[in-house]
Amino acid sequence: MKRGGGGGPWGQTVVDEPLTRGEAERVMRRLWRMLRPWRRRIFGATLLIVGQTVCLLAGPALVKHGIDAGIDKGDAGELNLSAGLYLVVAFVALLFGRWAIRVVAGIGESFLRELRVRVFHHLVSLGLDFFEREKAGRLVARMTSDVDAMQELVQTGLTMFVQNILVFIGALAAIFIISWQLALFTFLVVPPVFFISRWFRRESNRAYLEVRERIGTNLATLQEGLAGVRVVQAFGRERAFTRRFRETNDALYDANLETVRIATRYFPVVEYSGVLGTAIIVGVGAWFVDDDVITIGTVVSFMLYLQNLFEPVQQLSQLYNVLQSAAAALHKLFGLLDTRATINERPGAVDLPVTGALEVDDVSFGYGEAPDVLHSVLLTVAPGERVALVGPTGAGKSTLAKLIARFYDPRNGEVRYGGVSLRGATMRSLRERIVVVPQEGYLFSGTIRDNVRVARADASDADIDAALDALGVRDRFLLLPEGLDTEVRERGSRLSAGERQLVSLARAALADPAVLILDEATSNLDPGTENAVERALEALTAERTVIVVAHRLSTAARADRIAVIDHGNLAELGTHDELLAGEGRYASLWASWNAAQSTRAS
Amino acid sequence: MDRDKELRRAGWRLMASTLRPQRGWVITGVLAGAVWTAAKIIIPAFAGAAIDDGITPGKSDVVVKFVVLILVVGIVQASGTALRRYCAFRISYAAETDLRQRLFAHLQRLHFAFHDHAQTGQLMARANSDIQQVNQVIILLPLTISNILVLIATVVVMLLKSVTLAFVALGAIPFLGYFATRFSRRIAPVALELQEELGDLSGVVEESVAGVRVVKGFGAERRQTQRLEAEADSVLNRALAAAKLRANFLPLVDFLPALALVAILWYGGHLVLDGELQVGDLLQFNSYIFMLIWPLRLGGLLVAQSARSAAAAGRIFEILETDTAVTDPARPKPLPPDAPGELRFDDVRFAYAPGQPVLDGFDLVIRGGEAVAIVGPTGSGKTTVARLLPRFYDVARGRVLVDGVDVRDVRLEELRKSIGIVFEDTFLFSDSVATNIAFADPEAPMETVEEAARLASAHEFIIELPDGYDTVIGEHGYSLSGGQRQRVAIARAVLADPRVLILDDATSSVDPTKEHEIRAALQQVMRGRTTLIIAHRAATIALADRVVLIDGGRIVAAGTHRELLDTSERYREVLAQAEMRMVAAAVEDIEALADGEVSE
Repeated sequence: MKRGGGGGPWGQTVVDEPLTRGEAERVMRRLWRMLRPWRRRIFGATLLIVGQTVCLLAGPALVKHGIDAGIDKGDAGELNLSAGLYLVVAFVALLFGRWAIRVVAGIGESFLRELRVRVFHHLVSLGLDFFEREKAGRLVARMTSDVDAMQELVQTGLTMFVQNILVFIGALAAIFIISWQLALFTFLVVPPVFFISRWFRRESNRAYLEVRERIGTNLATLQEGLAGVRVVQAFGRERAFTRRFRETNDALYDANLETVRIATRYFPVVEYSGVLGTAIIVGVGAWFVDDDVITIGTVVSFMLYLQNLFEPVQQLSQLYNVLQSAAAALHKLFGLLDTRATINERPGAVDLPVTGALEVDDVSFGYGEAPDVLHSVLLTVAPGERVALVGPTGAGKSTLAKLIARFYDPRNGEVRYGGVSLRGATMRSLRERIVVVPQEGYLFSGTIRDNVRVARADASDADIDAALDALGVRDRFLLLPEGLDTEVRERGSRLSAGERQLVSLARAALADPAVLILDEATSNLDPGTENAVERALEALTAERTVIVVAHRLSTAARADRIAVIDHGNLAELGTHDELLAGEGRYASLWASWNAAQSTRAS
Repeated sequence: MDRDKELRRAGWRLMASTLRPQRGWVITGVLAGAVWTAAKIIIPAFAGAAIDDGITPGKSDVVVKFVVLILVVGIVQASGTALRRYCAFRISYAAETDLRQRLFAHLQRLHFAFHDHAQTGQLMARANSDIQQVNQVIILLPLTISNILVLIATVVVMLLKSVTLAFVALGAIPFLGYFATRFSRRIAPVALELQEELGDLSGVVEESVAGVRVVKGFGAERRQTQRLEAEADSVLNRALAAAKLRANFLPLVDFLPALALVAILWYGGHLVLDGELQVGDLLQFNSYIFMLIWPLRLGGLLVAQSARSAAAAGRIFEILETDTAVTDPARPKPLPPDAPGELRFDDVRFAYAPGQPVLDGFDLVIRGGEAVAIVGPTGSGKTTVARLLPRFYDVARGRVLVDGVDVRDVRLEELRKSIGIVFEDTFLFSDSVATNIAFADPEAPMETVEEAARLASAHEFIIELPDGYDTVIGEHGYSLSGGQRQRVAIARAVLADPRVLILDDATSSVDPTKEHEIRAALQQVMRGRTTLIIAHRAATIALADRVVLIDGGRIVAAGTHRELLDTSERYREVLAQAEMRMVAAAVEDIEALADGEVSE
């Protein structure tokens, strides 16, 4: 009997879509190249497993010897020798086994560690375009479930895979060496087991895919029933909803039962094949013993080897799924590793100067293959100047801000700082001079201090205190129970949207850039922090070049100059008063905004 | 600690209760297991006898007899294994399905206060991973019974053959059970730690992807990579610890039975030499040793698993034993038919947490057909007032009456059907628009659904949807705007033609520029119904005939919106605070305005 049955609910590896032969071969070749640093240890591990297998397979042969040379001949010495040797090989197999598992785990786990770090390192080096194109969930899955798919292989699969192949080949060799005549007959039962195992693997894979899908549907119904429980109760629909759940719940049961039915067909055949093998060995063996072709000991040893022929075939059939899903996962990971980063530091890149004007020189840009969303934009911002970008959603103002931070490179034209093209600048100096404060203050797990330190990994606590003081917000955070050491993701210490924004601003203050790109928040802030955020922003933007993507006209009005972006063009540029006087787009926006304000106040 | 033990015991009782309806299958499974066991024991005996009585003396007719017997008993064995496995898995899946159904039905009935405290994620875990834990023990139960039979039968047969050889052969075997149990116990916490480390690792990945703009903006790629490296090292460390445990155990699975085989060969061989046994007996003993390996390993697994499963079952039991606090009355009274829907709060006291009353001495009468707005600062209890009416919560003191009947005397279904609610967060189900509107009465004819939609000013936009009323909305379907969702929710509330309508902050999540559409819809549906409006937007408050200001759990002022504006300082304050928050929101509309202008 096998591990509670391959039809059991646990330990079942499901394969979505196996790779084609060509893909699988490429994956394997590349894997072998990646494994170069481990090759010697892999060789050693293989030797250990071979040693263990030889020792395991020696057992039945020694039993045969004990029976034929010892018991049959009445030679107690030979019997003692056989038993003694058996004890020795069993013990050696134990030692080899322990050693092999550790070595294989050492190789596999350190390879996975390397793979994780390498994939992640590559992932974060990719450009923003990649992250905007790909779904976050899928990227996370690459690093988690895909690598985990290999974990199973590494933990038990690999050793078992090699060992089962060796046991099968070894046992086959052993029975043929002992008596090829009886071996030929015994071997008859192997092909049926092979074919039905293959059938079982395919069928149960199909059935488990269905189970997985129905688990998903059932969980979705469950989730909705819980999330919407108040509505359900408000309308007195508890019973109807319970019935609805019963449908998906029963559908899951049916799918589960289908897997049971498949297993119910498989396992009896396998067990009966074992019985058939025993019958063949006894029946045919008796006939050969009669003709003096073989001895009694041979018959007994064949019965013992029978186990070693059956188990590997069944197990390999299960392991095949593990292997396939690992290969599919590797294939996806390699695909990610092959994605080229669009924003790179050029060889011979120079540091950006400490100060300088920001020039957007005839810049055009479009995402991917799509048409341009910015057309020949020309804009020069003097050091210390504050420019607001204004325009409807999708006009291109955020895109322009991203180009200024070199999250993307323009298709045509150049962005320069202090006369140096951003393309030719070192990434380090670029991130030091030009900093973007995103709309939402995103927080990483860790303390408030850790989160501020994101901006500069080598900053001391004093530096962080200074940055917070500069914005006048340190006292506010010190009021929290744990002060700056408050864990931001922990329950109960959730920071408000405004406080998160403050942390985000503190990061920018710590980075102390010459140019600050602000994407103004559109979400509500609680009145309490609203003022603090305003004050912090004032302090942060003082004496810096500021580009603000403005969503509120009140913010725009406070800028030195306003750039109105419309349909990817720089439509208007000038001070608030100049633009109002010009009676263009900005002037009409301003008028309608004022009108809206007054109706709401009434 | 005592509570834990109690819960585990309750967990066992719960597992037993899920097995009770499966009695027939359990018995069949155990019987099939017994037959299977017998067949499995007999076959090696036949093989041994064939060698000793047939092959050794060279009697081919005896050999043929035993070969035929082996093949026949083999059929019994194969049928036994089929039936035994089918029963075991069927029982466990049926138990799992049944338990999940019970849990869901119970959760649907549990009162609001329970759901206020429970987290959806936690409840999902109960219904998902905890039930799976339970399932793991249930699936092992029939197998274990068969296995115990195998164990007893083999040991007995071996003892009958030769007491001394049985002792020598079995000497090492109990250690397998011992080591299997020890291994399962030791690997469990390490596996859990490994899971946690993997969770931390994916946490770093998740936040790096979600916060990629921050990472890129500050050039923090290296910092994140270092954090990931640290997590990957912890994973490596735990994985190697688990590997060490496996290395210490797994080879024993081969080694301990091998010791038994050595003992059989050596000691048994000498017994054969002394003429006390035959070679076939040795073969039989060998076969029995192989038979004992899996039962003992599974036994180890069961011992380690059962504590975890009982704890999981205990957690499920904890939910199932929670009684719903809001139940149907023993002797229900009907609501008077055709009554206008007069509402009366009579000296009501209510607290979410003991000792902190939200309402205290709250009195309010709303005449049939009247629309009353309840206004108050955050936490003043205005939403609570609305929630006491349909008995989402029960009062601690005093009474709530609908048309002169205490709500606690009315059947819940009748009460709630007579009250329509539009919630602040318009929760719609992943289903068609029509099904969502007909939520209160799925049997409602299409005309009724359309009528409700028209009344809620939703018909026009619904027929413009890709599949009209059949358009699937919700998480995986078509996504509606806030205003559209709100109008569907209004249609849902009025479909059953309730006498009382509650608008619980119904306009707060709607874009202010679209608010007038909702307002028109509300005006229509309020006609001829008693309406309770919880609001803080002046425009929504203006829909009411009368406004009551509540503060500190009781009414502090009442009158029309105008009157209160003129007379109540507190009213102006409360409104101003709400406006402050809204102005901040309103200013953002510039974006929407600018978009509108461009598209024109």
